[in-house]
Amino acid sequence: MAKTPSQEAKTGWLLISPPAIYAVLLLAAPLATVLIYSVMTGGRGVVGLPFTLQNFTDLVQKPVYLSVMQRSLLVSLLVTLTTVVLAYPIAYFVSFHVSPSKKALWLFLITIPFWTSYVIRVSLWRTILGYNGIVDSSLIGLGLTDEPVNILSNGITSMIITLAHAYAPFAVLPIFVSLEKVDRSLLEAGQDLGESRLMTFIRVTLPLSMPGVIAAVLIVFIPTVGDYVTPELIGGGKVPLIANMIETQMLKLQNRPVGSAIAVAAMLVVGIVSVVFVLLNRRFIGGSK
Amino acid sequence: MTSEKPTMIEMRDVHKYYGDYHALRGINGTIRAGEFFSLLGPSGCGKTTLLRTIAGFEDISGGMIMIDGKNMAGVPANVRPTNMVFQSYAIFPHLTVAQNVGFGLRRDPRPKAEKQREVDEALEMVGLKGYGNRAAHALSGGQRQRVALARALILKPKVLLLDEPLSALDKKMREQMQMELIKLQRQVGITFILVTHDQEEALVMSDRIAVMFEGGIAQLADPETLYRRPNSRQVADFIGTMNFMPAKIVAETGDLVEVDSQGFGHVTLQGSQCMGTPGSNGSSIGFRPETLTILFENQQAVDRESMATVEEVVYYGDMTYYDVRIDGMTSPVRISMRNVFGRPVLDIGNRARVAWSPGALVLFR
Repeated sequence: MAKTPSQEAKTGWLLISPPAIYAVLLLAAPLATVLIYSVMTGGRGVVGLPFTLQNFTDLVQKPVYLSVMQRSLLVSLLVTLTTVVLAYPIAYFVSFHVSPSKKALWLFLITIPFWTSYVIRVSLWRTILGYNGIVDSSLIGLGLTDEPVNILSNGITSMIITLAHAYAPFAVLPIFVSLEKVDRSLLEAGQDLGESRLMTFIRVTLPLSMPGVIAAVLIVFIPTVGDYVTPELIGGGKVPLIANMIETQMLKLQNRPVGSAIAVAAMLVVGIVSVVFVLLNRRFIGGSK
Repeated sequence: MTSEKPTMIEMRDVHKYYGDYHALRGINGTIRAGEFFSLLGPSGCGKTTLLRTIAGFEDISGGMIMIDGKNMAGVPANVRPTNMVFQSYAIFPHLTVAQNVGFGLRRDPRPKAEKQREVDEALEMVGLKGYGNRAAHALSGGQRQRVALARALILKPKVLLLDEPLSALDKKMREQMQMELIKLQRQVGITFILVTHDQEEALVMSDRIAVMFEGGIAQLADPETLYRRPNSRQVADFIGTMNFMPAKIVAETGDLVEVDSQGFGHVTLQGSQCMGTPGSNGSSIGFRPETLTILFENQQAVDRESMATVEEVVYYGDMTYYDVRIDGMTSPVRISMRNVFGRPVLDIGNRARVAWSPGALVLFR
């Protein structure tokens, strides 16, 4: 017996309802709440009417918000740059210089940092970078310096080191995948047509691996803008980023509308930066049709 | 005569090992300037390896390769006077057709407009005029191959290397490209080296062919010699169809060899018809299917004539292939006959008169 279209649709809805309910409750509803809160009037612990854009005007007018926002973007852009620049040679090495039978093992080794909790890894960096930590004692032991360097005291530098380490595998994998897709005969063709290995890399390999680089940029950039743990543990709360400011507004000051407005603004900024990169990506993937 | 042409490539005792695997086992040979040369052999015979050692993508383990009088030892691919058309064409997918063709002109000091004009000319030469702004990934197989050709020829190499360039095309397209390649080669006058496993393609296109088996050159000759006077059963078997019959050498006097064989009886062969070293055992005579003729009722044989029984008939339209057993033979031989008007196609079991000539036989010792 054939089912009527409406019966079929009903079955369909029934089938997707568990994940759909999950998505609505845990993703769409909180997001909508944040969006609505951001345009409401708030005070300590209260959220109320009327609807207003005052929260957003405050963000633009009060220098404290702007400076935190700028610092967050700066830190995540520097983290992204560092991570991708360091990840590319690793991905290149695994793709081009590791024998095919050992590639899986190498990728597995690259993911080892994930075996430890993120929070634990971040706090371990405190020990490594801190006053008389591993870096300091090594440098002093080698006689390179007499005074402890205490990198940890420089909040932004130590945050960049910590985050770049944490996100390295995320950057290595997409770049590796795009390098694997590069037809090796293209490299021979580049050399056959008179270019050195370096120039062949610049003119052939690099542009063909750009989709992977851009994917890596997005994968690292988006989560680091909103990272909360690292500034809290490494920066010691002294150099707060957006996430810390949202936390302060939401929990410490109990001002949900302002916290929501910051969150929405951060989402917008990340969205805009991501769209720019996706457009760049399309240029490399599609070629000119 | 082709022999007056100067030498372009000289290979002396070229060896190549991959670990324990001996891929090239002492290649010797000369490729002349301006000739269309083919490396022909079954897969795994080392023909592509040899081409890649000439291009500079593989180091040789022993021996020497000279191109235009210069030893190529230690000379990397990017400075060799060779360009390659890859089997996969290796068209850069992120560039346009014109950018692909002009890829090798980056370091050319001439002004941009002049280089652009040269790219346009190269595209016109391969029949892709006006395709310059197309994306390379949007081309068909045949068009990709033309781009690969233009991209290599624009650099005016001394030698153009073609690695099975036609194997990915369908039959019609392949035959068309064969003709175009021959014309192109005559037009530009550059030495072409073609790697192929297709004996027909090699015969059609080449001035000379090196037949390769198991890492060595079995025979290096022009197509006609290769077809009519293959120097071993292996070569004869690889190129076209050849019938073989066991034979016994009765006597050798000077340049003449007397042979006894099934069906053909006692024949005397010229020295040029005899391959292999004298005195070895287990000889056989070979002959091409078209060198035998089934005679019409009142047709007379030009040379010799034998009676035979038709055992199998394969009709091909323009041709009919007969497997006939000549009286006195223990196994049938294949004869190919053109189906001309008025000639009936014989049936299995028919008796037929077969004309043959000792001059068309080849003795393998």
